[in-house]
Amino acid sequence: MYIPEADFDHLIRILSEARSRATELAASIGAGLGTEHPLSELASAASWRIENMMRELQISAVEDPQHAGGLAELHGALRHETQSVTPATANSPEHITTGMHAMAAFATQAGLEPEHWLPMFVDDLIAQLRTSGGITFEMAERLLQQRKDEFLKDFLIARRMYRTYPRLFRELQGEAGPRQSETMPR
Amino acid sequence: MSIDERELSDLMRRAAELMSDTADVPRLLGNHLGQQHHLAQAAEEMQGSIENLVRQLRSFDAPAHNVKDDLQGGS
Repeated sequence: MYIPEADFDHLIRILSEARSRATELAASIGAGLGTEHPLSELASAASWRIENMMRELQISAVEDPQHAGGLAELHGALRHETQSVTPATANSPEHITTGMHAMAAFATQAGLEPEHWLPMFVDDLIAQLRTSGGITFEMAERLLQQRKDEFLKDFLIARRMYRTYPRLFRELQGEAGPRQSETMPR
Repeated sequence: MSIDERELSDLMRRAAELMSDTADVPRLLGNHLGQQHHLAQAAEEMQGSIENLVRQLRSFDAPAHNVKDDLQGGS
């Protein structure tokens, strides 16, 4: 499979935006007509097909040698970041306050970096709760979708950076290297 | 119908925009990979699914107009 990088990015961007809009459209139709209505089911089906299309495209790109080499590592990171979060500890929720402090506290408790998507998502939920005084499953889904879209955009930028400036990444790895080697026996 | 004409019109507009904005996907994949490639076919199915939604939303609008017209005609 060969798709020029610019076209690949363009496709991912289109599909990512379309997925968000299709999800919102399905939610609006469901709110007006009920989730069991045939139109709601059609909208959900369209949303699912967009999601599936994007996933297939990403998987094909990673499996293809022309798109692999660096991309596979980044994609692996994407999958790890989006799938395998296991909080290290879940105690003391009473100490979690709101805003940035809550996000930092949550990240620390979960053993995650503050930039990880999960603390940011929790922060989004808390902000929404404070603004509207309540939260629905639909709103939580929408916020999660937005967070996924943000992550995807970051992923595409990281991939482009990796391809355009590979030396920079090696330098960054080199900076981390000596510290690790200090503990290694000679 | 528990949504009014304005809401339905908004839903139709959003669905039509979605259809138009995703039209590039099957075209690009078809050009690069060939129409027989599974990704190009998946894109066609995706686009067909969105087109179907737009069509059904438009046809859903028709009975509402008919009811409205009937009521106005009968008064």
